[in-house]
Amino acid sequence: MGTASFVRLRNVSKSFGAVPALEAIDLEVQRGDFVSLIGPSGCGKSTLLRMIAGIAPPSAGAIQVEGQPPEAVRRDMFFVFQDATLLPWRRVASNVGLPLELRREAPERRRERVREMLDLVDLLPAADKYPWQLSGGMRMRASLARALSIAPRILLMDEPFGSLDEMSRDRLNEDLLALRERAPFTAFFVTHSVAEAVFLSNRIVVLSPSPGRIAARIEVPFPYPRRGELREDPQFLGLLAQTTAALRSVRPAPR
Amino acid sequence: MNRLRQNTLPPLVAGGCALLIWYGIRWTTHLGPFLLPLPHEILEAAWRERHTLAEATAFTFAAAFLGFVAAAGIGFLLSLFLSWSVAFRRALMPFVLALQMTPVIILTPFLVLWMRQGLAPVVTITFIICFFPVVANTTFGFTAVDRNLVDLFQVCGASRFDELLRLRVPSALPHYLTALRIAASLAPIGAVTGDFLAGSAENSIGGLGFMTITYFAEAKTAELLAAGLTACLMGFIFVGGVHLLHWWALHAWHDSARRAE
Repeated sequence: MGTASFVRLRNVSKSFGAVPALEAIDLEVQRGDFVSLIGPSGCGKSTLLRMIAGIAPPSAGAIQVEGQPPEAVRRDMFFVFQDATLLPWRRVASNVGLPLELRREAPERRRERVREMLDLVDLLPAADKYPWQLSGGMRMRASLARALSIAPRILLMDEPFGSLDEMSRDRLNEDLLALRERAPFTAFFVTHSVAEAVFLSNRIVVLSPSPGRIAARIEVPFPYPRRGELREDPQFLGLLAQTTAALRSVRPAPR
Repeated sequence: MNRLRQNTLPPLVAGGCALLIWYGIRWTTHLGPFLLPLPHEILEAAWRERHTLAEATAFTFAAAFLGFVAAAGIGFLLSLFLSWSVAFRRALMPFVLALQMTPVIILTPFLVLWMRQGLAPVVTITFIICFFPVVANTTFGFTAVDRNLVDLFQVCGASRFDELLRLRVPSALPHYLTALRIAASLAPIGAVTGDFLAGSAENSIGGLGFMTITYFAEAKTAELLAAGLTACLMGFIFVGGVHLLHWWALHAWHDSARRAE
């Protein structure tokens, strides 16, 4: 493999019927990258994510993970949805254990791994609660624990913190990076928030809408691990401004 | 204590008013005990007929229970089948509807011809009456699964069987149990109606529906209403049982069974 890209998208397009959603997407991602996809509504960010996950096929072009189609490496990927998508009839521990259960992992091994994951996201005390008994932030942490339970090499996240208040979101952003120090994965992260994109990623891809095209690529040079104080760093604020400007340039004209 | 009073007082007051009106009508009009039996006359009749009524109730309860269980079981399986593909639904749903639309009275002669009078046709009529709400609700439950959860199972690489067992069945459970609640309220009525239409006193005294015919023929109107009262009580027990099942299965997680925080 050597210098070859970990995930490679070559001239990927997607249309729904006659409506083009994404056009000519070229993207090369290295192992360990944290890539944020940002853009206005309708730019196809979520569609792009679903294609990388192998749950929606591209209309044209090719997506490869280590030279294989995404479906072939599904075992190494997990998806974190906009909602926590916990099964309401299962307790937290049993929700976190679902992917391992579906992989027919032995129950003892599964229990052990679930405890480990719940501990990682600080949810051990809530293990026996039902999803409705948790706050939005806790539900999202349970969803993350579930995703990390299979030790994914690629984690695809579709605006996972979009519905949370800013404080919970900042906290979860820091938690997410801390988790990545302990269980490294390559990340694709769809967001509407510029601050979130700059704080989390080393690469930001700005998409323009209808149809979605890559409008700008921004490198974020801060080394990991990153701490919350980074948000006050002048260089951080500079990148925030640069990304905001890039986003404004692709904004659809006001009607 | 306060709660108890809030829950029991209003129905007691309403019931009391109804009794007053009932007695009031008898006292102020020329309706005699034959045309309008009074509540205490009905209770006296029920006591006089207790052995007959007990046996008839046992028969009707058995018929209602068997018909209900058959509708619950076969309805679940058919819904599962229907939810499997749109083509199945298109092919079969009109006929399920047709069975519901056809008046049971028209089917009864055939049932009697095929099965003779007795328990079998009564159970079948109960089944037919309970069947449709179970199929309609449960099929809806199986198909109305949260899209995001379907995606989640796909991401997990779940097989279709895993998806069914771990996602579709639990998702449909609240709909299924609601359907069972409706069916439970229909089952006693179905059994009494079925018995009225296809019951028999050949081997025993028949069910409550059959007793209705007997009492009416004998002009025993108080006994007739006593049979009605028994059927009504049986209905409450039936529905109460299924409500308990509903609560037991869903109270931990489902909104419908949870009190507001």
